Amino acid sequence: MNRSQHVFGSGLVFAVGLWVTWVSYTQQPAEAFLFPRLIASVFVVLAGWTFGKAVMGLSKVGNGVTRTMFLNMLPGLVITLIYVFWAAKSLGFYTATAIAFFILLSIYDPAPHDEAKSWMKRCIITGVFVTVMYGLFAMLLNVYTPKEILF
Amino acid sequence: MRRMIAGAALALMSLTGTATAEDYPERPLMLMVSYGAGGATDFQARIVTMTAGNEDALGMPIAIINKPGAGGRVGWNWFATQADPDGYTLAAYNVPHFIAQSIKGGVEYSADSFEPIANWGADPAVFVVGADSEFNSMEDVVAFAKENPGKLTVSGAGLFVGHHIAALQIDKAAGTKMAYIPTKGGGAAAMKAVIAGEVMGGINNLSDAFRAQEAGNVKILGVADLERNAFLPDVPTMMEQGLDVDNSSVNFRGVMVPKGTPPEVIEKLSATVPEMFANSRVAKKMEAGGSPMHIMTRDEVIEMWAQRQQTLNELLAGL
Amino acid sequence: MDFIYYFGDVFTPLSFMLLLGGTIGGLILGATPGLSPTMAVALLIPFTFQLEAAQGLILLGAAYTSTVAGGAVSAILLKIPGAPANIATTLDGHTMAKQGQGARALQLSFLASAVGGVFGVLLLIFLTPVLAKWALAFGPSHLFWLAILGVTVIGTLDSASVVKGLLSGCIGLWLATIGFDDIMGAQRFIFHPALGGGINIIAALIGLFAIPQVLTMFAKGRHNTGAEVIEVQRHSILEAFRELFSRTRALSIGTLTGSIIGLIPGVGGQIAGLVAYDQTKKFSSEKDKFGTGHSEGVIAAESANNAMVGPSLVPLLTLSIPGSPTAAVLLGGLLIHGIFPGSDLFDNHPDVAWTFINSMLIGQVLMCVFGLYVAGLAARVAQVPQSVMAAIVLALSVFGAYSVQGSMGDVYVMACLGIGMFFLERFGFSAAPLVLGLILGPIAEANFIQGGMIADATVGKASYFLTGGLNLLLIAVVLASIAYSVWMELRHRRYTTKEEAQA
Repeated sequence: MNRSQHVFGSGLVFAVGLWVTWVSYTQQPAEAFLFPRLIASVFVVLAGWTFGKAVMGLSKVGNGVTRTMFLNMLPGLVITLIYVFWAAKSLGFYTATAIAFFILLSIYDPAPHDEAKSWMKRCIITGVFVTVMYGLFAMLLNVYTPKEILF
Repeated sequence: MRRMIAGAALALMSLTGTATAEDYPERPLMLMVSYGAGGATDFQARIVTMTAGNEDALGMPIAIINKPGAGGRVGWNWFATQADPDGYTLAAYNVPHFIAQSIKGGVEYSADSFEPIANWGADPAVFVVGADSEFNSMEDVVAFAKENPGKLTVSGAGLFVGHHIAALQIDKAAGTKMAYIPTKGGGAAAMKAVIAGEVMGGINNLSDAFRAQEAGNVKILGVADLERNAFLPDVPTMMEQGLDVDNSSVNFRGVMVPKGTPPEVIEKLSATVPEMFANSRVAKKMEAGGSPMHIMTRDEVIEMWAQRQQTLNELLAGL
Repeated sequence: MDFIYYFGDVFTPLSFMLLLGGTIGGLILGATPGLSPTMAVALLIPFTFQLEAAQGLILLGAAYTSTVAGGAVSAILLKIPGAPANIATTLDGHTMAKQGQGARALQLSFLASAVGGVFGVLLLIFLTPVLAKWALAFGPSHLFWLAILGVTVIGTLDSASVVKGLLSGCIGLWLATIGFDDIMGAQRFIFHPALGGGINIIAALIGLFAIPQVLTMFAKGRHNTGAEVIEVQRHSILEAFRELFSRTRALSIGTLTGSIIGLIPGVGGQIAGLVAYDQTKKFSSEKDKFGTGHSEGVIAAESANNAMVGPSLVPLLTLSIPGSPTAAVLLGGLLIHGIFPGSDLFDNHPDVAWTFINSMLIGQVLMCVFGLYVAGLAARVAQVPQSVMAAIVLALSVFGAYSVQGSMGDVYVMACLGIGMFFLERFGFSAAPLVLGLILGPIAEANFIQGGMIADATVGKASYFLTGGLNLLLIAVVLASIAYSVWMELRHRRYTTKEEAQA
């Protein structure tokens, strides 16, 4: 299983390398792509080497991703993706942060889910954190974050 | 629940949507500078906007955001394609830079993508050589360039910025071919190349060159403008030295908004901003920093842009 | 000895208040993800409008020194390097924090910063005229070779496999070419509008270091967390002193490397920490411990990146050429008061010049005192439960990446790079060489092209890049560095095969 993961990972890197090489040798103007060509050539050779080793099962370093790890990570990853690529811009930074923060706490915090006390605690932590973020970025540093439909 | 959120959102939108030009601006504004923090444009932008929060100006502060890269292309591309035309997103322009870049292509903006508000400064390009250089006038420079075609290395801040335009004009006027070396890192890097002797000469901003001359590091041989400059009354213009170079390369700096900004906002800005530039505290700081001011209103800037567009079209046509 | 004469000016009530405020504020700004020292100093410029020239510069000088050191706090505790200068600090510093030795790591980092910083400022005070000549000696060809020297470090930096280290470096070099090419203005590899401005280095740093860590915490799941509450060990300051001075090799290599590299315009602070880290590792008798929470790593990295502060101002103060973005911002701070750096500064405004330099000297000490004071408290961050920590780091990364240029594009790039890096790390690639490639790529490319243009107009490429004392010296160092890596790799391989044979 580890081997097939290595093949997949390094295969992906190799594919990127091939694409980069192809783009750098075909795009114009040529002067601007001189340096990318140089990098791409080394890139693709090294990536090919790594891919070859992975196919032969000789990759030694790196443990890959186990099934439990991946399943544990999945909800967090999905929320991260929604938070970064949609919620932050569409709902407003602070609202999105509060929601994402609270959901992440609910999923990963080991405190029991059937006690009112632990839910209170989660709410308080979220509230305090978002307030601190607002104080730091909006008040102190004057960063204007997208507010959009909420805040 | 969903209905509640939608309702709340609607209520909020109607709150913000009813804002009229009279309330404008009701929150801090943002001014995008397409050069790095600490560059001449950034430095001047910070000074001229420092009084924005005053009651007689906009009544709201202006925050500077830097989006440097590729001689300004990165920032202006962003401004033309991604900035909201809501009146809260302003940008600093540098003419002839962005006009020349739009003529050369490869960017997503042109003079039509922006609406000028007002101009605050004009920084002519000057020709500088190291303090121990054998060149003492433009005549020496041209004579050397004629004898050694393509061998006279001249540094400048990038391709198709004011410095490059000046170099092209000198080449055209004198019939020479200099080796123009664009540097990464703007005018400061180009100046360093001159002082360190990496190149034989350089074209740089008058304000930066003036400072370097005060420090005893360079000699200024000529100003690419129609008249001598108040900071350098002893340095002759290119015209005085027999080179037909006009003020096309003078770096005009000012404020603009993206096309599509509501007309009442543009009106309000173009009435207030030149006043704000004219503030005496601003003038004092600019003077102290060696930055020549040149305030122009919206109408004057529109005319100036159109003029530049035409001269640059002609100059760059042969390239 | 002019500087002693003006020492009194730093201790007038208002000046000292500003110095204190600048130092503490700088530490906080520096520890905030997404705020590089350059931006922190730029943020403070408006405050100096109201002040006298000397006072304004005290504020800026103090803030500059302490933001550089403050970056170590988030690097050690959260694994978010605040600026490129702090990358090397994360390698051992964060590992130490995870082992409950956060207090020790922070104390060492502040002490090392102060030693390096004071040394750097003393160089600025005593050797400025000599150093100015040095700084000018580096032309495009030398900077090119210097960048290549940095590239040779890539393979051996924090990676178990040399090939994968080099490949990570290549990925970084390629990522750096995305966006507009700086000299020609051509568009390269812009396959999404968010990449129009290229990859912002600060946003990339946040993503590459912080996001994999967030995902690793997620991967541990809900129930494991209770088992590993970290016990934060107390650590006495006296012991930290003792440890610092028993690690003289790391301290001196870090300080010297930082001072020399900081001097070079345009390369400066970004790579000082990484190069010092790598050199210390090469000379250390305990090479294998690097990356596992070894104190030498923290000491070398932090002494180097504060040592560069003083020398990085040499070209600015003597020649009026800002050698780094932060120096450029400081130049603005001088200009608004009508003071031109260069001979004018030292001849006509010695009070301003020396007060500024003195404030950096005192600032280093204050920063250290204050830092040591908070180190014990700050280290408790490690006790925050993993679930909360993951959410905090994630939100900080998003805010930090956004605040760099006020652009959502940077946030997207940050997240994509971070998630990609998590999976790459699982397959033996690592972030440090990738980032080094990202930093060095543009330096190498711009100087190669610019040098090439000068060479074509004058003596030709071969003699421009390959002759001259400094070029030859740098080439020799590059070759030595490669030879050393190869030799180490071969020796290492022979040992391992022997061990395998015996087993």
